[in-house]
Amino acid sequence: MNNKIQNFKKGREGEEIAREFLIKKGFSLIESNYSNKLGEIDLIMSDKDWLVFVEVKLKIGDRFGTPEEMINKNKLSRIKRIAEGFLVLEPQIANKFKKYRIDAICIVLNENKKLQRINYYDNVQL
Amino acid sequence: MLQKVLSIASVGLKGIEIEVEVNVAEKGFPGFGIVGLASKAVEEAKERVKTAIINSDIEFPNAKVTINLAPADLPKDGSCYDLPISVGILASIGELILPKEKAYFYGELSLDGSLRHTRGVFLLALLAREEGIKKIYVPRMSANEASVVDGVEVYPIDNLKNLIKHLSREKIIEPLKKVETEEILGDIVPEFDFSEILGQEQAKRALEIAAAGGHNVFMMGPPGSGKTMLSRAMSGILPNLTEKESLEVTKIYSITGNIPPGGSLIRQRPFRAPHHTTSQVGLIGGGSNPHPGEVSLAHRGVLFLDEFPEFGRNSLEALRQPLEDGLVNISRAAGSVTFPAQFMLIAAANPCPCGYLGDPKKECKCSTFQILNYRKKLSGPIMDRIDLHLTVPAVNVNHLMIGKNEVNNNEKSETIKKRVIAARKIQSERFKNLSHIQSNSDMKNSHLKEFANLTGGANLILKQAVNKFNLSARVYFRLIKVARTIADLENSSEIKENHIAEALQYRVKSDE
Repeated sequence: MNNKIQNFKKGREGEEIAREFLIKKGFSLIESNYSNKLGEIDLIMSDKDWLVFVEVKLKIGDRFGTPEEMINKNKLSRIKRIAEGFLVLEPQIANKFKKYRIDAICIVLNENKKLQRINYYDNVQL
Repeated sequence: MLQKVLSIASVGLKGIEIEVEVNVAEKGFPGFGIVGLASKAVEEAKERVKTAIINSDIEFPNAKVTINLAPADLPKDGSCYDLPISVGILASIGELILPKEKAYFYGELSLDGSLRHTRGVFLLALLAREEGIKKIYVPRMSANEASVVDGVEVYPIDNLKNLIKHLSREKIIEPLKKVETEEILGDIVPEFDFSEILGQEQAKRALEIAAAGGHNVFMMGPPGSGKTMLSRAMSGILPNLTEKESLEVTKIYSITGNIPPGGSLIRQRPFRAPHHTTSQVGLIGGGSNPHPGEVSLAHRGVLFLDEFPEFGRNSLEALRQPLEDGLVNISRAAGSVTFPAQFMLIAAANPCPCGYLGDPKKECKCSTFQILNYRKKLSGPIMDRIDLHLTVPAVNVNHLMIGKNEVNNNEKSETIKKRVIAARKIQSERFKNLSHIQSNSDMKNSHLKEFANLTGGANLILKQAVNKFNLSARVYFRLIKVARTIADLENSSEIKENHIAEALQYRVKSDE
């Protein structure tokens, strides 16, 4: 149980880093941790005329592989399904945009919880 | 960066050049994808290549890696693309310099970065020679297969690290020395000797004729009479493969992965003894991506089917085409391929399910119905294609042990083999202008006019026999072929009465 709380905290931390990173890039936040019955999307943002669904992955150290490895076809199609749910359930937001995409942010922290690298991938397709 | 590396795919017994295109893109989400109708084995190359590169102390690129195997519409199978894929990736990230001239890369990777024995290297070398490719890079364990092909430099590779060093000229790998085929085609010691088989003189004589002319044999006898032993001893009296035959056989063995690591040319005539539960596809060849079967693995050698009637009816009837034409044509949705299958069939059977029908000492317990059912498997068309029919009776126990002071007067395999080789020599002289014919049994009916050379008396006996025993036209021609072999064994240029008479004796007997 303790571990789960820890992971949850870690995830929130990652989303924090990602949000700052993207806002600096010129994105604006629409909703964070949006969830419907299909699941949760970490960040929903807008980039000019794009509506962007962002998946954030955070890893501490590289002992368990890279965060990129954690995003696979299954994960991507799940995000797609949740995003489609969002478009249907929140028409007043969805109608403002014509183009949608899924981005990913992969963050690696070192053992001292300091940022080691942050990689941004736009329009992820596997 | 886009890099192109050459390799090959095999379709039937033919090699086709494959271009392995590797693109390592810094942009885009990192991943590793293979396209170009790759099978599961090729798909799994991803993990092998990735791990092998990391274990060779090179960082695997955190980038989008896309592999295309062109032509894209040809199905690719096997683990041989591991090496070209990893070479392409290493070249893309600048860890390795591709050779300037065209070269083939081929081989399966182990997780530690070393190369494993891979099937089909012989075919690779043949295609390289055909396409004018000078250099091929193959696993060291399989390199010997390729070394007999002239005009191609074979580089035996131990692992990825050595290959990188070689291509950057840090530490050169010496190409394998070409081995003369004659050197490899030396003598082989037979595992079994004819002199160890007591009695059964008639069967031995028939097997000698079969070996000399490549004729098919059918043996019938009670259990324990020595049918299996006789057949196994057969490989000891067969002449070694000629250079040309050896290349044909090696090609089939290389593709099916039957050459042991470090092996090169196959020099001993194949002796294949599939179990009677073998499926039709296993026997004839087939599969969605057609694969040679036992009949092709027995090419230029012996296919021994013990307990012949126990084989599935479909499998047995499917033997008709290869027995007649010496090849199998397999058509599948993916395309059609032809495999050579010029083998000598040796079939052994019991006279009935219990095995003792007609035995002077033991009683047969089978019902008439059972016997009929059993014999039904030996269909006319198949039996028609077998030249020598033998009855192998049980041996008298008194003959079995040779006393200490008695001398084993039985002929040694070596002596028989000498006669067989002499007869084969006459045949190869006879057929020297006909490249696809190696022995008397391969003759087509049209050749008989030219080569049979029957005396008047022999012709008369033959005609009378055909009329009296109601023999088919095929049998007529096959009789002449067997008689030709018997005449060759006696070094007689004509087929005389006694030759025809002996040939007839093997045909008529078991048809009673």
